[in-house]
Amino acid sequence: MDVQGLQMTQNTPSPGVFKRNPPIAGEAEAIEAAKNGDAEAFSKLYALHKRRVYTLCLRMLGNVSEAEDMTQEAFLHLFRKIGSFRGESAFSTWLHRLTVNLVLMHLRKKGLNLVSLEETINPSEEDAPKRDFGSRDIHLTGSVDRVALERAVASLPPGYRMVFVLHDVEGFEHNEIATMLECSTGNSKSQLHKARLKLRELLRQPEPTAQPASLKEVTV
Amino acid sequence: MTDSLPDFDTMTQADFEKYLPDFFANGDGHVSTDPRLQTFLKNNPDCAALVRDLEAIADQARSLFEPTEDPSDAVWSNIQNKLKQQGPEDDDLPIPQTV
Repeated sequence: MDVQGLQMTQNTPSPGVFKRNPPIAGEAEAIEAAKNGDAEAFSKLYALHKRRVYTLCLRMLGNVSEAEDMTQEAFLHLFRKIGSFRGESAFSTWLHRLTVNLVLMHLRKKGLNLVSLEETINPSEEDAPKRDFGSRDIHLTGSVDRVALERAVASLPPGYRMVFVLHDVEGFEHNEIATMLECSTGNSKSQLHKARLKLRELLRQPEPTAQPASLKEVTV
Repeated sequence: MTDSLPDFDTMTQADFEKYLPDFFANGDGHVSTDPRLQTFLKNNPDCAALVRDLEAIADQARSLFEPTEDPSDAVWSNIQNKLKQQGPEDDDLPIPQTV
C-alpha cells in the first residue's frame, strides 16, 4: 500500500493530541530497538498500543471482524514503516493517524465515498437529528453516562460517527479531519454538530430504543 | 459553516442555531461560558439547555479515549504469520514471537 497515500508525514499535532498522548515508560527505547529489528521490541509496542488501536478501529467501523482486520493491518504497516518515525510527534499520535488513514482507505474500497462527505455519507432524513431545539423538559440531566454514550455513538450513522470519534474522542482538530476525510473544515464542523445533536436525541430516548444490541453487533 | 458572526444583541434562536457549530468550534468549545452569549442564553433557556447537553456529550466523549476493548489473540497470531510469510528478505522485517 502506498505509504504516501496514508499521509505518514508527521504534521505538527494539535496540543490536545499531545496532551492526550503522553510518552509511555519504555516506549522510546522499544521504538529505537524495533527500528533496529528487535522482535521483542515489536511485541512490546503491540502490547502497549493494541487496545487503543483496536478500540479506535471498532469505533470507526462498528464491526468486530473489520476492526480486528484493520488492527492487524495497522500493526503490519507499523512494523514495516517504523523506520520512518522520526519522533517529531508523539508515537501514539503517529500510530493513530496511520490507523485512521488505513480505516478510511478501507472504507473507500468498500465504496463509502468520503470525498463527497456531505452528499454520500450524510445520513438519510430519518437518521438526521430532529430540528427540535429542545424544550426544557427533555434536556439531559447535565451528565451523560459513559456506557450509554458508547452505545449511542455505536448507533450513529457512519458519517456522523466518524467525525465525532475523530474530533471529540481522538482529539483531532477540524482542519486535520478535513484533510483526512478530504472535505472542508466547515463540513467537519457541521457533521460534528449534527452528530452531537443526534447523540442528544438518542440519549434522551428510553433505554430499549437508545441501545443497539451491543457495540459489537453494530455494523456499518 | 458561516463566514461572519451575528450581532449578539439582536440574535434570534434561528441565528443561534445557525452559528452554534462555529461557537463550539471557536474558543475552548464551551459555549456556556462565552461572555458574548450570556445575555442570550439567559433569555433563551431552551438554547441554554441545548448548549448544556451538547457540552455534556462532548465532555463525556473525552472519557471514551481510554480504550475498553481488546482485540482477540488471533490478531497477534495473524500478524506473526503474515510477517513469517513475507520473510525478512521481503521487507527486512524481524518476526516478533511474543506479546
